[in-house]
Amino acid sequence: MNAEAPGAQNAVEASGITKSFGGALALDGVDLTLAWGEVHALLGENGAGKTTLSNIIAGIYRADAGRVVVDGVEHQFRNPAQAIAAGIGMVHQHFRLVAPMSVAENLHLGSPQTPRLVTEKILVGRAQALMDELGLHVDPTAKIWQLSVGEQQRVEILRVLSRGARVLILDEPTAVLTAQEAHDLFGVMRQLVAGGRTVVFISHKLNEVLDVSDRITVLRGGRHVVTRDTAGATARELARLMTGEERELDVTHRRIDGAAVLELHGVSARNSRGLIALSQCDLVVRGGEIVGVAGVSGNGQTELAEVITGLRPAETGTVVVETVDLTNASVRNITAAGVGHIPEDRIGVGMVSSAPVKDNAVLRHYRTDELSAGKQLKRTAVVRFAERLVAAARVQTRSVHTPAGQMSGGNQQRLVAHREALVGQRLLVAAHPTRGLDVLATQEVQSALIARRDDGAGVLLISDDLDEVLLMSDRIAVMYEGRIMGMFDRGDADRARIGLLMGGHAEEAVAP
Amino acid sequence: MIDNAFLSIISVAIPASTVVVFSATGAMVTERVGVLNLGQEGLIGIGAVYTVIAATEWGIASPWLCLGIGVLAAAVLGAIFAVAVVIFRTNQVLAGLALALGGVGLANQLGTNRNGSLYRTKFTEESPFGLGGVGQIGEAVFRHYAIVYVAYLVVPAALWFLYFRTRHGMNVRAVGENPAAADAVGVNVLGMRLWYTILGAAISGCGGAYLVLTLTRSWSPDIARGRGWVALAVVIFAAWRPFRVVVGALLFGAMISLDFTAQARGWDLPFLGASDLAFLLSMLPYLVTLIAILTPAGLARLGRRTRATAAPGALAIPYFREER
Amino acid sequence: MNTIRLERRATSDARRSAAFRVLGAVAGILVAGLVLLITSRNPFTLLGDALDANFGSQRGLEETAIYATPILLNGLAVALSLRMKIWNIGADGQFLMGAWAATGVGIHWAGPDPLVLLVMALVGAAAGAAWILIPALARAYWGVNEIITTLLLNFVALQLVLWATLGFWRDTKSAVVQSAPPVSANLPVFPGLDFLHIGFIAPLVLTAVLWWVFRSSTWGFEIDTIGGNPRAAAFAGINVPVRIVLVMLCTGAIAGLSGMIHLSGYAFRLNGGISTNYGLSGFIVAALAGGSFIGLLVGGLFIASMLHAGITLQAKGLSTYIILAIYGAILLGIAIGEVAARYRMVRERYDPATEAAR
Repeated sequence: MNAEAPGAQNAVEASGITKSFGGALALDGVDLTLAWGEVHALLGENGAGKTTLSNIIAGIYRADAGRVVVDGVEHQFRNPAQAIAAGIGMVHQHFRLVAPMSVAENLHLGSPQTPRLVTEKILVGRAQALMDELGLHVDPTAKIWQLSVGEQQRVEILRVLSRGARVLILDEPTAVLTAQEAHDLFGVMRQLVAGGRTVVFISHKLNEVLDVSDRITVLRGGRHVVTRDTAGATARELARLMTGEERELDVTHRRIDGAAVLELHGVSARNSRGLIALSQCDLVVRGGEIVGVAGVSGNGQTELAEVITGLRPAETGTVVVETVDLTNASVRNITAAGVGHIPEDRIGVGMVSSAPVKDNAVLRHYRTDELSAGKQLKRTAVVRFAERLVAAARVQTRSVHTPAGQMSGGNQQRLVAHREALVGQRLLVAAHPTRGLDVLATQEVQSALIARRDDGAGVLLISDDLDEVLLMSDRIAVMYEGRIMGMFDRGDADRARIGLLMGGHAEEAVAP
Repeated sequence: MIDNAFLSIISVAIPASTVVVFSATGAMVTERVGVLNLGQEGLIGIGAVYTVIAATEWGIASPWLCLGIGVLAAAVLGAIFAVAVVIFRTNQVLAGLALALGGVGLANQLGTNRNGSLYRTKFTEESPFGLGGVGQIGEAVFRHYAIVYVAYLVVPAALWFLYFRTRHGMNVRAVGENPAAADAVGVNVLGMRLWYTILGAAISGCGGAYLVLTLTRSWSPDIARGRGWVALAVVIFAAWRPFRVVVGALLFGAMISLDFTAQARGWDLPFLGASDLAFLLSMLPYLVTLIAILTPAGLARLGRRTRATAAPGALAIPYFREER
Repeated sequence: MNTIRLERRATSDARRSAAFRVLGAVAGILVAGLVLLITSRNPFTLLGDALDANFGSQRGLEETAIYATPILLNGLAVALSLRMKIWNIGADGQFLMGAWAATGVGIHWAGPDPLVLLVMALVGAAAGAAWILIPALARAYWGVNEIITTLLLNFVALQLVLWATLGFWRDTKSAVVQSAPPVSANLPVFPGLDFLHIGFIAPLVLTAVLWWVFRSSTWGFEIDTIGGNPRAAAFAGINVPVRIVLVMLCTGAIAGLSGMIHLSGYAFRLNGGISTNYGLSGFIVAALAGGSFIGLLVGGLFIASMLHAGITLQAKGLSTYIILAIYGAILLGIAIGEVAARYRMVRERYDPATEAAR
């Protein structure tokens, strides 16, 4: 709970860390040195090994080779508890919180400092004291599932600190946060290092890394590339170190006045909890344009995509695709109308991991005449189709008969994205299509969206990454609490106004 | 003498349900750490047969000691299951069915020469604080074997206290809900799962021991007679709460004793004979249990709630730390 | 020093997994044999007797095939639902209801044999399907786990059959008490054979049909997709709840049909003991085959010969209970084998730095 005075030693010295999963080398002799009282950014693409390295330092994984020295003492962590005891705590990208239990209970889970006999009163009292001491506040009686993502993250940080962590590892902490929440988090990070603690900040967002860190370590392909001071570093240089090459996507924008491929009129829908998540939305997407939907995750974008693609019923309003009313039509009919959907949860919703690549490739096309006659599947045609898609999407797999789950996450994402682009001859709904992808894969997916657009299809791009929306969109809609707060042409789009609308500040945004 | 029909049902239902109370409590304890043990029938059978062996072959006169031996045997069987599903992470449905089949088969095999053999070891009825003498209600509710009070009051109270008033219990609940989260804060997930699966098996075995020391007072093959499966249903109905398990099991027992009461009182149905009524009533417990499982799910669906079940989040899912 | 370590794979290939399941089943039998040895019965003599009972005579072979028929059919029923990751543990109840409903036709109507048999088959299959309807609807639309619901109905079915045989359909004319009268139409025996009825064709045909459906039809593709990831299936435009209900009704119908076939081909009259754990045996066969229908045929014949041997050996003092215990051992063996197939041995890399640190 109290950060002890930093010793003469470095906080953590990890050297020669090697780890492989199922024969694939994830880390190859990586070194990392963390000093006391610094924000140390761990920068790299997906699959660069940032998370694996952190998991080894935090005792989640055991390294195949290498040594970890904490504050001058060598450790062989066998489990996270030992790492916690040595003062290393990690906040994972996916929170490790028990959803049906309260904040106070979650803060006390597994801690030997928790009294043996507990009542809610005792737990809440202790939680409150901890929050006051650290200056981080969340309602201690709330259940985890009732909290926003930012609040859940705060609970995670509180819990790690309550165990006496002096080295705090944050794994892609800003990926799920609003701009305001991210800003608050950076404040917390500065406050922690000012108290002598060390914060490891894992990210692939260059601007954030440049904003908040003192030193930067870049990993690429499981190897250590460089460690340097943040002062004097540039985004361009870091991007080159991360990817090994320099590339930038060039998007030309245009104003389209063609026919609408999608028209929404007064569409409302409920979320899975039965609450209204989408209210009275009007939206038009024309053929040959990308309409970006900006907004913080959880403001109805998921429901918007699902209503359009037939996965969720609309309570009111109409969904028209190219003059045909497809309100609450079946997924099949909507698919047949040429509407593709890159879902937010590509692997959980768009893929069958246990099934072979070929089955996943034809998941949306198997009813076409090319692939089946009546109820009979044309098995050779299926294989041919899959091989074509795999080649076009540059998916790396041993064969189309291998289970899709054996491919890397990036390959799975590419397969889904290209398959849906193929479905979306008229309209492609892309929900956070580049989330979790590294720079190269992001550019590939973005290029695929632009190619679709240039072929004359409409693209609805939903993203919580404002940079991406601004880069890609011809027109921009902003969503907040299930409503479309504003609509901008590319030329009029103003980052500050969009940011205010995303936060629900309509009045201030309207004023120039 | 109890002459009120309702009270007479209650007085029969309480001891009749005790087997289900034990088995359902054992199943709940196991499921609370995220392990589904479908082998309740086998555990009841093994608990029963070893109690009988202790009473006959080994001539042990103390019913509590015999009970202990039965419980121990069930715990050993539970330990085999626990190692298979927790350490080796075998499919819990397959392993549970294996335990159900194997346990019943083994129990029947061990009991082959003990069919109907008589023994003196048995529990006697107790009336705490003389409450059994307080009118017909007292007679119906407070004149039972001591172990009945253990099943209905002591065990659920102890479990409630454990789960909701201790640090350890809080960690136990976390293991069942989200083992990755529990593991991340240093809770020994596999250890918890292992020990609570064994504890649950021991409690379930208690049901079998109780059965042969009170209700049947002799061994007969397939002694559990489906009570173990009903117990698993009761846990769902009870939403994994210790005292609701008791209520759910009692409901089941009431159905059974309705059968007894109907026979004893010569109730009849129009157009159907007394034996027809008996058959109908013998189906009733299973049908009522089925309805009891379906009702909350159906209501939740109508009310559009997301969390349609109160089941532990990680139920029947093996835990691997290094999975990615 | 290099060390050997076990490493787990997220997925394992089908052939390796099948081999390990068979190994597990064999290990289960060996363990059970060991138990027999300890309980002072010589398992080798028993094995010899068992082989003799099954394969030593034409009669033995035919009887094994008769036992295999309901086991294979129930196995196919369970395997079909398992392709969707649905556990139908109520095959016993559906089998009983199929036999019960077919009895209702067969004892009240003495028409031309083929017609009576056809109606019995239809009614039996319909009764089996009806028996799983509520669990199917509850699973598909309310998300109620089917394991307990299908199982509870087994007890109700048994009570219904007991009621019929001891009560309203009890045969009062015959000395055989506690059973319904014989049905009016029986399945014919294969020409040239003495016992084996033509119902044995049913599992063979059904295996071929299911094999084709899952190999090269969109139905099979859709069912496998639902089994693999129901959310992805919905995403692909498959109406998941409707498919779940339909497939579960099919499994119930197959199990019901097996009850009718067993009744009209072998048992001839309904009684409380008409199912010798055929549903459970089918379940074990399906688990052993792991969704492969051809594998199921082989495994089913194997389990059937064990069951048949067990019944024959009863005359030699072996109790049927031990069969149940052996089932348990086999099932546990299969479950462990399934998991073991996912592990591979890997060699830890030699690393001087770690070595020096020690």
